[in-house]
Parts: sequence; structure tokens; C-alpha cells
Amino acid sequence: MHRARWGKSWIAGRILDAHPDAPPVVVTDTVRNAIRIVALDKRARARGIKLNQTLSDARALVPGLDCHPADDEANRALLLKIAGWCERYTPLVALSSDPASERDHGLFMDITGCAHLLGGEEALVADLEARLRAQGFHVRLCLADTPGAAWAMARYGQERIIAEGAHGDAVLPLTLSGLRLPPDMVASLGRVGLKTVGCIAGLPRAPLAARFGARLMQRLDQALGREAEAISPIMPVAELSTERRFAEPVTHQDEISHVIAALAAGIIEPLERRGLGLRRCRLKLFRVDGHVSELGVQTARPLRDARMIARLFAERIAGLHDDLDAGFGFDLIRLDVVHADPFEGAQTEMMAHQAAGQGHDALVDRLGARLGLDRVQRFVLAETHIPERSFGRQPVAHLGAPGPGARRSAAGNAALALAPEAAGEIITRPLILFDRPELMQTIAEVPDGPPLRFRWRGVSYEVARSEGPERIACEWWRDGRGARTRDYFRVEDRQGYRFWMFRHGLYGRETSEPAWYMHGLFA
Amino acid sequence: MSLSRLQTATDILKARTRAYEAQAYRAHRGMALGDASEARPLPLGASAVDHCLDGGLACGGLHEVRSPLARDIGAATGFALGLAARAIEAGRSGRSGIVWISGPATRVDGGGLFPAGLAQYGLDPSLITIVEPGDLQGAMWAADEAAGCNGLAALIFQIKGNPGRFDITATRRLMLRARQSGVLALTLRQSGEEEASAAATRWRVNTEISGADDILERGVGAMRLLLTLERNRAGRTGQWLLAWNPKDRSFHHAAPHPASRSKPPAHSLDRLPASADRPGAPGQMGQVLDRRQDFGRAS
Repeated sequence: MHRARWGKSWIAGRILDAHPDAPPVVVTDTVRNAIRIVALDKRARARGIKLNQTLSDARALVPGLDCHPADDEANRALLLKIAGWCERYTPLVALSSDPASERDHGLFMDITGCAHLLGGEEALVADLEARLRAQGFHVRLCLADTPGAAWAMARYGQERIIAEGAHGDAVLPLTLSGLRLPPDMVASLGRVGLKTVGCIAGLPRAPLAARFGARLMQRLDQALGREAEAISPIMPVAELSTERRFAEPVTHQDEISHVIAALAAGIIEPLERRGLGLRRCRLKLFRVDGHVSELGVQTARPLRDARMIARLFAERIAGLHDDLDAGFGFDLIRLDVVHADPFEGAQTEMMAHQAAGQGHDALVDRLGARLGLDRVQRFVLAETHIPERSFGRQPVAHLGAPGPGARRSAAGNAALALAPEAAGEIITRPLILFDRPELMQTIAEVPDGPPLRFRWRGVSYEVARSEGPERIACEWWRDGRGARTRDYFRVEDRQGYRFWMFRHGLYGRETSEPAWYMHGLFA
Repeated sequence: MSLSRLQTATDILKARTRAYEAQAYRAHRGMALGDASEARPLPLGASAVDHCLDGGLACGGLHEVRSPLARDIGAATGFALGLAARAIEAGRSGRSGIVWISGPATRVDGGGLFPAGLAQYGLDPSLITIVEPGDLQGAMWAADEAAGCNGLAALIFQIKGNPGRFDITATRRLMLRARQSGVLALTLRQSGEEEASAAATRWRVNTEISGADDILERGVGAMRLLLTLERNRAGRTGQWLLAWNPKDRSFHHAAPHPASRSKPPAHSLDRLPASADRPGAPGQMGQVLDRRQDFGRAS
């Protein structure tokens, strides 16, 4: 994929096509301690500039060269976007790296079992190439039995589709660079006269491996199909997926909702057959211009209700900050079940008290889908006495089943079982706790007496009653040696407002001027 | 079909028929505005208040709790959580859980619920789901969704001040949804003025000096609220001094402290509901900033 190497500048290349007298465009990078040309356009090639030429040589040829530094990040991002788009053909799309620079440079697609959906291998390859070309990319692609052979033939071969079983013969005439070997190994093999794959394929293996390393034999075996090679797909492969293709792209929100409902209805039956319920799924919308939108929803409990799934997606779309940009329309919409859990076959009551979609779990799912999963939270407790550390808030979606039963069933939320159950007459902890204790000016008895008067948020309070101190020692294993002790007081002022405040540091031992902080409000 | 299952089905059908009959009866009396299948009111536990409310708060419905000053938010939160705890305690069928929705402006003061405090207050923190939408529109949507959820005991929607978008239409929608689903919906308004809303009742909560403790002379006693029922669609209003008992999760009447700044009247006081745009109404939020009155940063 040539254009992929151009990074951000490929758009510039496109614009320049309209101006024949514009200077040639090249992309440069530092290779072997010199700024060299790593990509160039047609016009530059016509002016005699070559790949791997140093920039100064190229400048000598064409003084007005338009050069751009290579942007690896942008290249990679673009390649990942193309990879996401390629998932319309198969879920197994992996990155392949260039052996010389170790940068991701191309894509592997495993189309086993997918070709018949598009009318055969020829049709798939032609469709893939035509669509990528239409998006402005120059593509070199090859379909072969092994990833190694496909890699070699795409770069150094001529044929686009190698017939089944013919890959062994096809790669033999190719140069050794086609075996994804490091350039210095190719060079040293060349020095002893081994230049093509065919040269080494017939040689005795042991001396070759001894001299050039086992890697050479491994790559050879992988190309010839003697050793299996697994590609690691970028996205986790969905457990189930269902899709709709459209001859006429869909643009309207209503049509999209209909499609989602139909797709959701389609996955219910396979889920039932496997005894699963949906926990996490994602919707991929392939726009005709190559852009891919992805929407994900999660559910708190395994779900097997098409209407609910469609409703979750409706909330998810409604919660997007800007509308789903349909552009010229979507020509492929796919629903993937990313994660499914065993469905506890709860028999529905005959006179179901709760209408479907009205229960507590369904509410949490809907809120999470619309507002974002991390905005719907529940308390988790931790084993510490420092008040602000004694609890955290976790998204409900990550906690498992909600409700009182959850404390028994959810193993990941064992901390909640530590919740102090006994409600007594004496209340020592406030209802409202400030995220950060607030510094205030206080007059208090020295060394460890209660506060008498304090000023907080610009208002003065006179203390009428107080209880304390409740001493909470610092966590030296976390905060280090210098951490100070806190003396907490419950304080009521003359009007009846009740506060929770603490003195930070023991007078005389830890500090000479202990600071006072406001930490909470009682009811 | 076995005999026992047939029996069960018959029982269910009978129960259903009874429910329909009861509903028809209420409709006949002009009471039922939704299918209030659980129309049993929620008593607060304090006799005078319950008497004034004809037995208690209507469970499916919207009620407003407000604290005029920002620093009264502790007391107002306590009252709202107390009501929610009672709603859970009432244990209506299949209802558990409280959804706490805080509007975007309420976090500015930097306070959040403290689980240890909740547990001592008589509420199980694991029953509370906290929702913090990024904007008011999202918060109102979340409140609407929660109000329509059958599996919920109570919903507390915390807002600050009187945002224009949370108007009478929005409250009416909340009210209708809560009435249909039977959720106890509460708006907890921090440092807000009284304004027209569709809520069935509106409560003002003020902090009151805690009761004197005989054992600990200078100790802090149990909390007390000066509770004013400012508005009641169904009847009378009043003012009471209440205390919360975390053990049996109920409110009870408390004797006024001798040094109390305001003495609740012996009889309930009747007040007409005030409209927000009445002449002489307090100004909009953010216009008045009297630091002696209030500690709120934004109020």
C-alpha cells in the first residue's frame, strides 16, 4: 500500500495532481544517518529521483522539491483506519511490519470462509482493490495460501491471485527479500550467490540454519506452507456477528434504527442456541467513502431481547455529542457480539409484574449507553481508615449484577461485603464528604483541644458543641515518613450546623502550626 | 397442567381482578390519575406529619425537598435519604435500589455521598446507583428514565438553584412518569428558591440545634430538622421539628431546644403556594451574593 506510507501528505499529493507545474512531492526520513527519500510521487520519479536517495542529491536534481518529513504516527493511524475498514471483508485483519524498519507497513487479511459471501475470491480481490483505489490509495495485493507467500507476491510478484497449492512454485523465482528477512541477512546471502527463494529451497537445511540462523528456515517454511503461521488480528474476533449490505446506501436515522432492530433480531436465535446472553456488543457502520463508525454498548446482565438491544443503541446514538455523520450513507452495517455470558434461563412469570425493559438492570444499561458507562457508578469499599480512600466509585457495568444479591454473587466486588451494616444511635461519619479536605482558619486549644471558632468559605462559625478527637493515623507505607496524623472532630455551631473537620498533624511532635481542614457535613 | 399450577393461575387471575376493581373504584372516586397499583402512602413515622399528609407521602409521585441556604444541604440530604430509606424499608414488591442523579452544577461544591456515613444513617450504600451526567439535559433525561423504572424504590435528583430548563413541564413529566411507575421521586434542590412546579409536595429543610445530651454536656446530640411543608397539593401545610432514627429508619418528633432560634408553632401553619414570578420574589440565582448569609461559592 503505497499511499499508506505518505501519511498526512497524501492529500497534498492529490491536490497537486491538478497543477502540472507544481514541484514534485517526496517524503523524507532519517535512514542510516542521512535524510533520505522514503516515498515519492509520480512526478518526482519522472524527474529522476529514486527511493533511498539522500535529500541533498535529490535537491541537486530538482531544486524546488516539496519535501515532507515522514510521520510514523500518522502513517500508523491511517493504516489502522484502513484495517478497520477492511473488516468489512473479514474479521481477521492483522498488521504486517516491514523487516527493514520494523514499522507497520501492510495488512494481512485471513479470508478463509469469507470469500463466498462476496461471490468468490476473484470478486473479493477485485472489490477490495477497486474500493481502495476509489479512496485514493495505491494498493498492491495478493491472495495466496500462506501469509508468507502472499506477503512476498504482493511486493515482488506480478500475479494477484495464486491458485490453491501453487504458492510454492510461485515464490521460487522471487528475490530473498520476499521472505521477510532483515536486509543484512539478504545481503550476506547475496554475497554467497543465493539471490532467489528457489536457490535456498533445494539446499540442505542444516548448514544454512547453522550459518544464517533458524529464522531463515522458519521464514522459508512459512512461505512454502511447511510451517503454520498465525496472524494476530487487531480487533478481538466477535463471538457472533451479523451484517446487512445495501445496494443503495442508507442515510436516514429511521432506516438505520430499522436495520439495527433487524440485526438485533437476527442474533437472538444463535444466542439462544448457544445458551448465551449478550453482555457487550458493537455496531460498525461502514460509510461509502471508507469511514467506519463504531458504537459499543454494554449490559449489566446477559441480555437476549432484540427490542432492548435496539433501544440501547438508540440511546447510544442519541447520546453522541454530534450526530452520527452519515455522509453519503452507509453501505454495510454490522452487529458484533463481542462478549456473551451464559444466560440464566429465568423463566418469565406468567403475569410478569415488571414489563420488559422496565427493571433496574435495564435502566442502568440505558443510562450507561446514553451518558457513558463511567457516569453510572456504584460504591466499592476499600480497607483503610483514611476516609477519602475508604471508598471508590466504579462504573456499574464493570461490577456485574447490581442489587443486594450482587454482594454475594459478584466476586469482583467482595469489598462491599465490608460495609458497616449496623446503624446505631451514634453517628460518627458525615453524609457528605468533600473530595478534597478544605483548608480553613481555626482557633483551637493547644495542643489537642477542639476548635472554638473557625472560618470556612468566607463565613465565621462559633462552635457550640464538639466531640473528639478521633485520631486517624497516617498510612506511612503509602505516604512516606512525613505524613501527618489527623485528629477528627464532630462540631456543631451555634445555629446547629454539624461539620466534620480535622487537625492535620500533632502539635509539637509533627508540626508546630497544625492546619485545620473541613472534610464533611452531617445531616 | 397440574392442579397446583392451575390453582396458582386462578389465584393470580383473582388478584388481578381485585386490582382492576380497586382501580375502577378509585377512578370512580376521581382519585386515580395513573394505575397506582401501590397506592399505599409512605408514612414518615412522625404522627403529626403523617396526619397532615393523610397517612403519608404518595409513593408514586414527585416531591421536592429544598434547602434555602447552601449550608443546609446536609440536613436536606439527610431528609431526602431518610425518605428513600423508608421507601426501601416499605419493601414494596420487587423494588430495591436508589438512583442518585446529581446535576452538573452540584459537584462544584466538591461534596459527594460518603458510604460510611450512609451506612450509619441506616442506608445500605450498595443499593445506591450514582449517576453524574455531564449536562443538565442529560441529568433531566436520566431522571425521566429512572422515574419510569418499575424496579426502583426511590430516585433522588439533586440540582442546584433554579435552572430555567427544569421548569414546570419537566416536573410535570417527572410527576406523571413517577405516578405510573410508583417510584418515589425526589428533587433535592440546593440553595434554590420556591418556584412553581408539578410536585405533589414541597418541603423546606432547615438545620436545627441538636438535642441536649445529658451525659455529654458539650457533646453533639442527634440531628434535628426544622421541616416546613411549604406546599401540599392534597391539603394542609405545616411546620415540624423532626429527628431521624437510623436504627428503625423512621422520623420522630423532637422537643425544641431552649436556645432554638425559631420555635415551631403549636398548630400547623397554612401557607399558600408561592409562584416564582410573584412581585417581590427573590432574584435569580447568582444575583445575590451575601457571604454572611451563605457559604456557597456559586449561590
